[in-house]
Amino acid sequence: MIVDIKNLTHHYDIDVLHNVSLSLKKYGSIALIGKSGSGKSTLLRILSGMEKATTGSIHVNGYPVSDPVYKKKVGFVFQNHNLFPHLTLERNITLILEKTRGVEKENAKEIAQKHLRLLQLGDQMHKLPKHVSGGQAQRASIARALSLDPDVIFLDEPTASLDPILTDEVLTAVKKLRTLGKDFIFATHVISFVRNFADYVIFMQDGVIVEQGKTTILDNPQTEAFKDYMSKVH
Amino acid sequence: MNKVETSDTPPASLTPKINRKRRASFFINYGLAILTFLILGYLIARAQTRVLDFSAIFDRPDILRNAFITTIRASFTALIFSVIFGLILYFFSISKIRYLRALSDVFTEIIYGTPLLVMIFMMGFIFRASINNIIDMIGITDFIKQFDSSFRGFSGPQMGLAGLTIYITPYMANIFRAAFSSIPEEQYMAMHLFGFTTFQRYRYIIVPQVIRVLMAPLMNNFSLIIKGSALLNIVMMREIYYELFSIQQRTGRSVEAFFVMWLLYLAITLPLSQFTRFIERRWGT
Repeated sequence: MIVDIKNLTHHYDIDVLHNVSLSLKKYGSIALIGKSGSGKSTLLRILSGMEKATTGSIHVNGYPVSDPVYKKKVGFVFQNHNLFPHLTLERNITLILEKTRGVEKENAKEIAQKHLRLLQLGDQMHKLPKHVSGGQAQRASIARALSLDPDVIFLDEPTASLDPILTDEVLTAVKKLRTLGKDFIFATHVISFVRNFADYVIFMQDGVIVEQGKTTILDNPQTEAFKDYMSKVH
Repeated sequence: MNKVETSDTPPASLTPKINRKRRASFFINYGLAILTFLILGYLIARAQTRVLDFSAIFDRPDILRNAFITTIRASFTALIFSVIFGLILYFFSISKIRYLRALSDVFTEIIYGTPLLVMIFMMGFIFRASINNIIDMIGITDFIKQFDSSFRGFSGPQMGLAGLTIYITPYMANIFRAAFSSIPEEQYMAMHLFGFTTFQRYRYIIVPQVIRVLMAPLMNNFSLIIKGSALLNIVMMREIYYELFSIQQRTGRSVEAFFVMWLLYLAITLPLSQFTRFIERRWGT
């Protein structure tokens, strides 16, 4: 995946991202780490095209992120599954395929079921999100992202609202996805997962990138901020 | 992975046995409560100094039936139009145009500060004269006469009903506000991300969710309308209150007339509130 950010600044009332630049060419799995409020979620939303940056030029795989073609090539897994609550797990997927991707009804069903089964939800697919566990709902939301056949999948702290057992369940599922040849950019606090899963790590604080590099930087933080962060997570 | 169900699997539903027991207790207690009020009603009726005689009230069942139908028809009309106007008022209140927001605020404040009786009186008498003068002046009266030759301007009952409708409108806008805000910001982000068109967002995602939240308060407002419609008697609408009040004046059977009037209203509102409960149970989260 190729990520190219030049002078990205984004603010609501205050600066959330401040003059961020980034140029990556060959990494398939990029982790964003940092304290809550460091700007990593916002960066994810901007990279996925969901939110428009105040200023700056942002390209992923050669597409400007505002390009409608690019938007059809991204998958996004939200912090709190964010499935549509009135639709079954299966319908959460087929609705998007049918209405926004023009997939035939039967075909959409097939795609949805295939991915739900891949995430071990074969027997849950006709249930509403509120009738399955948090881990199952989050896995369904991963299945939803996958079903759209994206080039890049964004995961915004996909386990933040789950307990350790369910966290493990979801992360095991995500690891399996690496074998599907998709690219990932994700924000998380689970450092062990970053070690196992990421090729490249970006540490952010107060809306700027403080350190970045291969996962080895986790063992050798250079700045005070990163040292402090690493001493608090494990 | 599927084995890890311990942490936050939803609780299993109650066993049928406990359910049956609960249900029996429900019926017994509610039965007793209803009986209590029936006895109270009976005692109050018995404590009247004279012997009750309902025959004069039911002398003309067609009048009662028509009154009953008039109340229901007027209430439904007010319901439908106040839902439409309420939705428009809601869209005004979230409009990007500040004037429209201000307009909706000021209108809402005026209505909240007005008693329904005053509203219906103003519409039925004061505004009616003005509006009929205006439509006469600008030629609308003549235009309508082409289709309905007997048209002489809006009638008292029509204007009164419009008053009731306008009165309920801000309450309707309120329930739309509550319903639409029940959809979290993140869902809108997801809709945007997946590339749904505006129509698709409303059709498949927003409206199906909003309707569930909307139904119960909508029915409550409907109940308000039905009870409020009793005030339409002042503009001579021949609804339940109007007719039974006339009957008691004509026959002198005031106790009987008011009892029947009361029961007729309950005959509409009680099934409605049960229906509301049913919807809440069925669709509630």
